[in-house]
Amino acid sequence: MTNIKMKQIRLLVLGVLALVASLVLVACGGGGGLEGSDNSNVTVAEGGDPTGSLNISNWPLYIDGKTISNFQNETGIKTTYTEDVNDNNEFFGKVQPLLSQGDSGGRSIIVVTDWMAKKMYDLGYIQKIDHDKLPTVFNHLIPSLQHPSFDPDREFSVPWQSGMTGLVVRKDLAPDVKSINDLFDPKYKGKVTMLTEMRDTVPLVMAADGIDPVDASTQDWLDAIDKIKKASDSGQIRRFTGNDYVQDMAKGDVVAAIGWSGDAVQAQADNKNIQYVQPEQGCSIWSDNMLIPVGAPNPAAAYKFMNYVYQPEVQANITQYVNYVSPVEGVKPILEKRDPAIANNELIFPSEEFVKNCFNQVSPPGDEEQQREVEQAFQDVVTG
Amino acid sequence: MTSVRQRLVPYWLLAPGLIWLIVFFVIPMYYMGELSLKTGSIDTGYQLTWAFSNYTDAISQYSTQFFRAFYYAGVATLLCLLIGYPLAYAIAFKAGRWKNLMLFAVVAPFFTTYLIRTIAWKTILDDSSPVVSFLKTIHLVPQDGRVLATSAAVIAGLTYNFLPFMVLPLFAALERVDIRLLEAGKDLYASATQTFLRITLPITMPGIVAGVLLTFIPASGDYVNATFLGGTNQAMIGNVIQSKYLVVRDYSEAAALSFTLMAIILVALIVYIKFAGTEALMGDEEEAE
Repeated sequence: MTNIKMKQIRLLVLGVLALVASLVLVACGGGGGLEGSDNSNVTVAEGGDPTGSLNISNWPLYIDGKTISNFQNETGIKTTYTEDVNDNNEFFGKVQPLLSQGDSGGRSIIVVTDWMAKKMYDLGYIQKIDHDKLPTVFNHLIPSLQHPSFDPDREFSVPWQSGMTGLVVRKDLAPDVKSINDLFDPKYKGKVTMLTEMRDTVPLVMAADGIDPVDASTQDWLDAIDKIKKASDSGQIRRFTGNDYVQDMAKGDVVAAIGWSGDAVQAQADNKNIQYVQPEQGCSIWSDNMLIPVGAPNPAAAYKFMNYVYQPEVQANITQYVNYVSPVEGVKPILEKRDPAIANNELIFPSEEFVKNCFNQVSPPGDEEQQREVEQAFQDVVTG
Repeated sequence: MTSVRQRLVPYWLLAPGLIWLIVFFVIPMYYMGELSLKTGSIDTGYQLTWAFSNYTDAISQYSTQFFRAFYYAGVATLLCLLIGYPLAYAIAFKAGRWKNLMLFAVVAPFFTTYLIRTIAWKTILDDSSPVVSFLKTIHLVPQDGRVLATSAAVIAGLTYNFLPFMVLPLFAALERVDIRLLEAGKDLYASATQTFLRITLPITMPGIVAGVLLTFIPASGDYVNATFLGGTNQAMIGNVIQSKYLVVRDYSEAAALSFTLMAIILVALIVYIKFAGTEALMGDEEEAE
């Protein structure tokens, strides 16, 4: 009898303890960044004497091995360079709860693609930059990147590297692929991949059907997604990928893909048959941008770093390693002496002729709700 | 005094686990439950509107992926059992001095991360690999067919990755089988099959139940295998939840999907335990006494 009573009391005590503990913790936890935000009170990042330490978040394999240590030696700024951006959406998902509380997680520079930069800025997560503190950057920024539509006056973004999204093919296995429409050719059934990044894949499919992605309507996006869905359901498309299509292609499992120019240059070093092909109806051009997030602990050092990598000599090292299109003027003459193969590569220094049909990467039109509808439709195909 | 102190001991022992579970399980669950009933977006903020439609939408729209997840996980669990039981049996009864080494071999894959092991399967199964050529010669795979980026590849990946979770509980159960019972069966003229079916199998039932649970539950929520080894139209519900959270950022519906998945597994679990019998799970403890 007493034993049972004892047990009941114990249970009760435990229950109350658990309840109290959880209530206390819930109260401390707060709302966790799920309330809305806007950019009505964006501040300009402060300059000042750069000292201390600098944390940078960038994409993998996006810098050569020397630049960071050289920067540290020259400036005395202790720099932590982390390759923790693998995907715009995933990175956003990871940092959003912090940024909405005005905390950058210790980062003073983050690097994301144009549309994500704009999205973060609109949410008030990004500080404006002071052009007076970035003389080297704005003296060397190439003209074609000075006035992008997402940030016409470069108020909050500084390009890191640019690139093209187009066709990557195995020349030996699919020699006649020249247009995005060729990816839908039954001849290549099950040997074709497309990218999981909607803004890379869908506009190219639209352009191939003669629709200008820049003025495309929501319906145009949905139609193109429907076309992709049919090809996915029929088994024409093998799968949707990040940049792991390169490995599939090296093995010959995939013979043609929507892919990135820089990947093709890097893959070519191992397999001459992997080539970038400019789609007949044009490619999509994008940049990844350095941004100073809200709550950045050391904006002065961030400015210093941006200026540092915009010196043509420094940038030449980066270009030589990453093989994407450099946003810095004066790199080509340096590389002509050092590494002519890179200086003459159209994928790294594209001529106007080469990119004549290309367009800047676009997002679906309309407000947040309409954009999400399109994004959802595309994701339903990817996770079909 | 000592008696009060003694009575407090269980609470001190419980405290670390309890606090851990509250902080990392109960509270997140509470938030997720709340989130699953909200509407809104990151831009506008989330309001609690008791939107039960999140659930109905989620279930009606993604029933295919739910079904597929349970189908893949179910087949993988069955394969694990069919492969794992003889393996565990061999290790427990026939391995002799190799027992420890073989057990180590079962656990050894854990020394490499899950992700790397799964990606390695891409090489094993790629279209021109020896494995696939062999499968083509014995006509298990059609001449123009492939293995990678098919349902078979996803199920094979799941089976491989979760096999140790099946083998270890089975081994633990088989090891405790009293050899004398088998000898008694033989003495009473039972055939090998009869001995197995009427002695070994019932005694090792707790191991089978535990193995099935440890395999099926994580396998049905898995998304890594479908990501790397699957193709189009082979996404499991885990892939949908991942994309809802990280790509579309529809947190409410992602939370609703997660809860639905948990609920289905919980119901299946209860039915299964009822069917398999609680004695099967707890039985060995009583016997041990």
